[in-house]
Amino acid sequence: MKKTILFLALAFLTTGLFAQKKTTTSAVIAFDASTSLDNMPKAENKTAIGALDTKTGSLAFEATVKNFTFSNPTMQGHFNGDKWLNSDAYPSFIFKGNIVNLSSVDFSKDGSYKAEAEGTLTVKGKEKKIKVPGTIVVKGETIAVSSNFSVDVADFDITGVPIDAGKVSKQPKITVNAEFK
Amino acid sequence: MATTKRRWLKRLLVTVLILAIIVAGVYWYVATEKFSDTKDMQAAYTVNAVDFLHEFEKDVAAANQKYKDKIITVNGRVSAVESADTTMNIKMADSTKNSFIIFAFQEQHVSEPKTVKVGDSVSIKGSFSAGIFSEILEVVKVDFKRSALNK
Repeated sequence: MKKTILFLALAFLTTGLFAQKKTTTSAVIAFDASTSLDNMPKAENKTAIGALDTKTGSLAFEATVKNFTFSNPTMQGHFNGDKWLNSDAYPSFIFKGNIVNLSSVDFSKDGSYKAEAEGTLTVKGKEKKIKVPGTIVVKGETIAVSSNFSVDVADFDITGVPIDAGKVSKQPKITVNAEFK
Repeated sequence: MATTKRRWLKRLLVTVLILAIIVAGVYWYVATEKFSDTKDMQAAYTVNAVDFLHEFEKDVAAANQKYKDKIITVNGRVSAVESADTTMNIKMADSTKNSFIIFAFQEQHVSEPKTVKVGDSVSIKGSFSAGIFSEILEVVKVDFKRSALNK
């Protein structure tokens, strides 16, 4: 009897602990580096991994570089090539950080909350501290996280003639949408 | 003398015009180029999902090299159907190691995952992207893009 109670207590505790950490493998990350001279440099990745710990506020995303889908094959080839993202050598984009204003987000109450996340973004093996705004929408057991921000490609040693010529934006817009259940 | 100069000028103009047409043609080709429908493409490999995942669990680099940029048909059991914004992804997993394959669908095939449920045995053809060991989940994950469900 005692063993059963102990087991049930442990099971309950463990479930509670895991419930704090939510993950998804279908977060959507898009970037738009188009300019007035070229509207093609933009792509979307619909299979990014996301992890959110509602207790500590830790937030992480990981996207496979080669799974960014472009409308144009040549553009996609250049993006993954040695001179640009070199995705064979650096296969993932990773963000690891925390929600800065965790106290203003009530994960137990339905609503839309303004949030700010701070952390390290790793692209092409280069790390850069970033702080980004976002929105967290809580609806029952589902938490939707979204964010729009820009990065400086030069921070990640991404350079080239198309950037200098104004055909690829120096500050592409990044969009993140993730639904944690 | 003037006739010779005029002839050279004419040749130069014709050459410039031809070059301009070639450059415009190449630009037009690149700008309007699209990916073929995956459904109409020949698969370089046909694999079983779990066996395929075992290759990545054993040696990610070697498996990535073997399947690099290939169209692959993967046969297996659906472990999850997940929504990704307005579209859906299909997953197949190796339950012993929690590694998984995830398929994002091509624009003209985005409605196909709606016809599938967890536990179904399916055949999916897609463009292999890469396998990675996820730092976040600490499992092997293999990505496919521009996928299509084989009927």
